[in-house]
Amino acid sequence: MSPDRSQTAYAESAAGLASRALDALQGIGGTAMVAQHVERAEDPKAALAAIRVVGADLFAPCLLGGAALHPQDAAAVAQSFAVFPPALSPPPPPPEGAAEPWLVAWRDWATAALLARCADPAEPAGPGGADEGLLAPRPSGAPVLADIAQATAAGAGADLADAGSGTRPDATGPGTDWRQWSVRMGQLSTLALPGLAGPVHDAARAAPLALARGATRAVLRRDFPTAARIVRWLALLKAESVPVPLDPAPLVEHLRLHGGGPRLALDVAIAGRLLATETS
Amino acid sequence: MKASTTQTAHQVSARALSWLHTHRERGGLPADTTADLGDPNSVYKPLGEAALAASLVLRESVAGTTELRTARELLDFCWQQFGDGDMLYERLLRHSMMTDPLETYAPFARVGFRHEPLERLLTHTASLRSVRSAEVLPNRRLAIANAARVIGLDQGDRAYDWPALARATWLGGTPEPWLIDWMTGYCLTHTVFHLTDWGGRPAGLPEDLTAYVRAWLPVWIDIWAEIQQWDLVAELMIVGCCLQEPYCEAADWERLAAVQHADGLLPRDGDPVADDPDRRFSDHQHTAVVAAVAGTLAVSRTLGRAAEAR
Repeated sequence: MSPDRSQTAYAESAAGLASRALDALQGIGGTAMVAQHVERAEDPKAALAAIRVVGADLFAPCLLGGAALHPQDAAAVAQSFAVFPPALSPPPPPPEGAAEPWLVAWRDWATAALLARCADPAEPAGPGGADEGLLAPRPSGAPVLADIAQATAAGAGADLADAGSGTRPDATGPGTDWRQWSVRMGQLSTLALPGLAGPVHDAARAAPLALARGATRAVLRRDFPTAARIVRWLALLKAESVPVPLDPAPLVEHLRLHGGGPRLALDVAIAGRLLATETS
Repeated sequence: MKASTTQTAHQVSARALSWLHTHRERGGLPADTTADLGDPNSVYKPLGEAALAASLVLRESVAGTTELRTARELLDFCWQQFGDGDMLYERLLRHSMMTDPLETYAPFARVGFRHEPLERLLTHTASLRSVRSAEVLPNRRLAIANAARVIGLDQGDRAYDWPALARATWLGGTPEPWLIDWMTGYCLTHTVFHLTDWGGRPAGLPEDLTAYVRAWLPVWIDIWAEIQQWDLVAELMIVGCCLQEPYCEAADWERLAAVQHADGLLPRDGDPVADDPDRRFSDHQHTAVVAAVAGTLAVSRTLGRAAEAR
């Protein structure tokens, strides 16, 4: 199998698994959707890889839909970690390390943490000692939003809510501007689920305007998948009663009606569920 | 970085103004033009826009002596094209419902070019319920109100209800920022221009609308710069200069300076620029006007900010 063929198989498998997760979130389909996905796959290795791609979102039916995690599903996720073991020590955050392995490490941690939580609801969640014994270690750091004070001489009067707007897209030094930062937060959208906490969540809570700008920019650029990933953070913040500068609900509906593909559909459904928990 | 923003903005503005001045004869009214104007948008409206840019250069008085002289000469040229105001007067005499004589006259009146019969006529027509109730887009109604304000007609029982005018616009609804299109972008910029009288009274933009514009302006500048809509980008940069706390980004100015041609032409978009000199002028004169205004206001507001910081 050529690398290209393999990539295609992984992507197709991940799309299929995202569809199953979406069905499960909506209460459609049987139990043990993850295990079934692996059992019925022509290429079980691709199916196990797909588990890591969909990642923590496999637990959305458990966290947001009230479904219990099937033991066979828990076993399938654990098997994925056994077949594709994460690095023993997580890669350093950028700019010290490369972005992609660090993003993967964060997504793996989220998957492992929610596996532990959903498999044993008595398991305490949140930052601190709860990461002991997880199948993936917790990385350090979070996407850093450059402060306007570092980029302009007018820093003394800078509005904190506007952090990042004064930075040039090619700026070097600590952090990135709201454009790149929000895209990177979108790449960590599977962390935007209840029951997870850490520096990435703190970064989101500290910068709702940068998230809202990033989502707005993505919609206007017709990059609906990126918009859907970023809007999940806005939905999570709203569910936590953090003030956000735009109402995510019509944006979620807009993306539901304009975007395509199972990955986007799952992001939008999760965002919608998060907003429903806020209003109920 | 602030100094360089001011310098870059000055350079873009001075070059655009010089280009408008150099090629001004290409924008003159044809010899047989009457006040009826078969096609008011072809030459008449652009002449008024050039006059607007020049009037703001004079109002702000932050340019060098060369630019101030250039602006004055450009205004003289435009005023002469309008028959020292006679043409605007005749046009309003014949077409009482038309608002363009008022809007075209305002920049001249702002810097001391007056036409008394026209002003008497404007005072009369602008007070008529028929004229004031004419059906126009909300941002266009603001253009009329601001022109009346500049001339001194916004007072007494003829004073405009500015808050109501502001609320009636697209911007007044503080809409979803992720659903804006190119045409609506222009509606938004003009709403801000007229409420603040082209940055002369930033407090004219209500506080909540100021906060709204401040939140989303970086996104709109970003997305239209990405597709090289320089005319709209420069208009949005004027909007940034109209805010109480001006939003003038060095990177935005460097980008605009980079696309400006050596002769001062600023392309309206990313399409190829024609070689024919008349075509170059007619295609890109609006963007030169916008760039001259944007640069003038950016210099004025960044200098003001530097002075406050001291």
